[in-house]
Amino acid sequence: MFKKILFATSGTPACDHAARVAFDMARRYNAHIDVMHVIGVPTRGFSQVVVDLTTGEQVVLDDNYRDLVKEEIRVYYDHQIKPSEDCAIEVAIGETHREILRLARQSKPDMIVMGGSTGASGAYSARRNITGSTFQRVAKAASCPVMVINRPAGSFRGGFSNIVFGTDFSDNADAAFAFSLDLAKTFDCELHILHALDITGCQMNTFQPQDDIDDHIRKAGQQIRFRYGSKMGGFKNYGMDVWEGIPFVEIVKYAREKHADLIVMGHHTRKAGEGGNIEAELGGVVEQVILRANCPVISINRPVSDKRP
Amino acid sequence: MPEGSLCNKQPIQTDTALKMLLGDTGGKQYYQEMKSLDVDSGLLWDTIQKTCKSRIRTWLNICAHCGMCADSCFLYRINDCDPKQVPAYKIQSTLGEIIRRKGNVDNAFMHMAMETAWAKCTCCNRCGLYCPHGIDTGVMIGYLRGLLYQQGFVPWEMKIGAGMHRVYNAQMDVTNEEFIDTFLWMAEENEEDYPGLAIPVDKEGADILYTVNAREVKHYPEDLAQAAILFHLAGENWTVTSKGWEQTSLAMFAGDWAACKMQVESVYDAMERLKPKRMVGTECGHAHRATVVEGPYWAGRKDGLPPVESIHYVEWLAEALRTGKLKIDPARRIQEPVTLQDSCNYVRNHGLKEITREIVSHIVAPGYFIDMAPNKEHNYCCGGGGGFNGIGLYREQRNKALITKRDQILNTGAKLVLAPCHNCWDAIRDLEETYKIGIRWSFLKPLVLGMVEIPDHLKPEE
Repeated sequence: MFKKILFATSGTPACDHAARVAFDMARRYNAHIDVMHVIGVPTRGFSQVVVDLTTGEQVVLDDNYRDLVKEEIRVYYDHQIKPSEDCAIEVAIGETHREILRLARQSKPDMIVMGGSTGASGAYSARRNITGSTFQRVAKAASCPVMVINRPAGSFRGGFSNIVFGTDFSDNADAAFAFSLDLAKTFDCELHILHALDITGCQMNTFQPQDDIDDHIRKAGQQIRFRYGSKMGGFKNYGMDVWEGIPFVEIVKYAREKHADLIVMGHHTRKAGEGGNIEAELGGVVEQVILRANCPVISINRPVSDKRP
Repeated sequence: MPEGSLCNKQPIQTDTALKMLLGDTGGKQYYQEMKSLDVDSGLLWDTIQKTCKSRIRTWLNICAHCGMCADSCFLYRINDCDPKQVPAYKIQSTLGEIIRRKGNVDNAFMHMAMETAWAKCTCCNRCGLYCPHGIDTGVMIGYLRGLLYQQGFVPWEMKIGAGMHRVYNAQMDVTNEEFIDTFLWMAEENEEDYPGLAIPVDKEGADILYTVNAREVKHYPEDLAQAAILFHLAGENWTVTSKGWEQTSLAMFAGDWAACKMQVESVYDAMERLKPKRMVGTECGHAHRATVVEGPYWAGRKDGLPPVESIHYVEWLAEALRTGKLKIDPARRIQEPVTLQDSCNYVRNHGLKEITREIVSHIVAPGYFIDMAPNKEHNYCCGGGGGFNGIGLYREQRNKALITKRDQILNTGAKLVLAPCHNCWDAIRDLEETYKIGIRWSFLKPLVLGMVEIPDHLKPEE
C-alpha cells in the first residue's frame, strides 16, 4: 500500500515526531521516501532574495545554498537515513503548501506525512492551539491521504495494528472508511469505528433528555451498520461504537482506550487563510484530533485511487 | 576596462548568460566590475540627440526652480527634506548635466546617476501632478534609466529582469508549457468545489483574453485559480493564450527599450492571433502601464492603443459587480476597518481612482472603509515601485521609503489594506515584516471569492 512516501519537513524539532513515523514506515514497508524541505518564501518582488524559514535570515539563493541545506537535512536525519534506504532529499522555494502539492502532483506519493504546525521554531511562529495553515491547505488539495503527527506519538510503536476510524457519515468519511478497511486488511489490524455524537449544540444547562440522546445513539449505530457493516466483505476484526460528547474529545478518548496507533478521518477543510493572512482558522474536528491525539492521524479528502504506481 | 564579463553594455540574450549572471550571488562581481566600466560618451550623446526630443528638452529648460515638486515627492519628505532629493535637482543633476556636458561624463558620475534613477525615484509621477508646468520628473527618470541601461550602469536585479524578458518573454524563468500546465493544475485542484471549471486555451473570438504576472505562475498559482473561478462564476467567455501571456515588464523598470518592445509585441501578437473582444490583465500596476499605456508607443503603434481594448482587472471586477455578473452576499462583506492603496500606475497615471472605490462600495460593509490621507491621485507611492522592491543594493533606502506608507496606514487605523497591485502588495508585506504594525493585506480576488454568491447551476452536487 505504501510504495512512496512524501515526508514534508521543516528540518527542525517541530517535525521530529513526524520524522520518526515517516522513516519507520519507509523502512517497514520498503517504501521510497522523499524528504522535502521548503527553504523559504521568495520575497522582495522579483529579486533573488529569499527569507529562509528556519533561520529567519534573508539569503540570496544559489545552487551552493541549496546543496548546503540538503546536506543539513541529511545530517539532521542521519540516524534515520541508512545508506541502504531508498531516500531522496528535495528542497524548494515558494509557499510551503504550494511546493508540497507541486511535488506531490509530480511524484504521486501514496501518502504525505507531515507535522501539525511549525510551532515556535522558525521565522513564522504559529500558535500552539490551532493547526498550521500549511497542513490545512495541503489536506484540502492533496489527492492522496495526508498523515499528520503533531505530538509525540507514544502509541505508535512501529507499524499499524489498531486503527480508529472516526465518522460523521459524510462522503469524505466514506472515502476514509474505504482506506481504513484497505489498511486493516492489508496489515491485519483491528478496526474500530466510532461515531462521536455531538451534544454540544445544546444550550447551557439544558441538555437534551437522555431518552433523546439514547435514540440518537441507536440511530447512529444503525447508520454505521448500514453504511460500513455491509462493506466489510469477509473482514471480521472490527468493532463499532457511538459515544456522545464533544466530538474531538470522544475520538481522542476512544483512541486512547483502544490503544490505537492510527486514527483515520474524512476531512472537511474550511477555506484556509488567504492572501497575506497566514492565520489558520480554528475549528474542525479533525484538526482538534490532530492537535491532541497520541498517535498519527490520517486526513482524507477524496477517494484514494486504486492505481498503485 | 570597457566591458566586464558580467557587467557590460551587452543585454542578456541567452539562458546561459542569464544563469551566469544569476550565479553571481548578490551581484558581487557584477558591481565590482562596474567600478571600472567605461562610459561610451560618443554613444551616449548620439543616443540623446536621436531620442531626447522636444518634450524632455522643454521640461529641462523651463523648470522655474519653484520648489513645488519638493513637497510632492515622498522620498524628499521621508529623507528629512534633503535638497538633493528635490525632483528638479534629481533630474537636473543627472540627465540635465549629461546633456549640458554633451555626454562627457565619467564612471563616478554614472554611479551617482544610477543611484538617483533607481534609489531616489520610483517613477510614481506625483511630482508631475503638482508642477505648475506639468513637468514630469518621473517620466524623465524613466528616460534616464534607458540611457544608463544602454551604458551598462544598471542594478544587478534589473539586468537579470530584462534578461528574463528577452529569454522567456516573462519576468521569471517560466516557460509557456509551465504556464499552461500550472493553470490546468489549478483547475484540477478546484474542480470539486467549482464543477465545470475549465481553462480555455487559445480560444478565438472570446470576450476576454486574460494576461498574468509570471510570478503568479511560479510562486502563487492560487491567484490564477481565483481569477479562473471568478470568470467561471461570472459566466464569462474567456481564454488565456499559450504564447504572450505575460503582462508585466521588468524591462520597463530596467530601461531596456528593445526588450520592452519585444515583450509587449508578444502580447499584441496574441491579441491579433486570438482576436478577443477585450484584454483583461491581472492585479498589477506596472503591467497595465507597460502593456496598455506605454506599450503601444514602444511597438510603434500610431494610434497609441493596443490591438484590442484592454482594461485593468479592477475595471473588469467593478463592471462584474455593477452589472450583477458577480453578486456579493452582504453578510460576508468586510466588516473591519479597511483601507485602500491607490497604485500609482493605474490610479494617478490612468485615472481609475473611482473604479477601485466602486468595488469597495460592494465588498465593504458601510462605515468600515477609511480612505488614506492623501488619497486617489494624490496618494503616495507604496515605497516599492519602479523596481525599488527588488534591488538589493538599495534595500536600505527602500525600507526607509516604506515609512511613508506605513504612517499613512497607521493614521487610518485600518487592520486590513486592499492592495490590487503586485508591487504594492509586496511593499506592504515588507512594511509589515520590517515595522510590524499588525496589519493584514490582500489582493481583491481572494476577498471577493470569499463573499461571492455561487449561482445555483454552478454549485457542487450535494
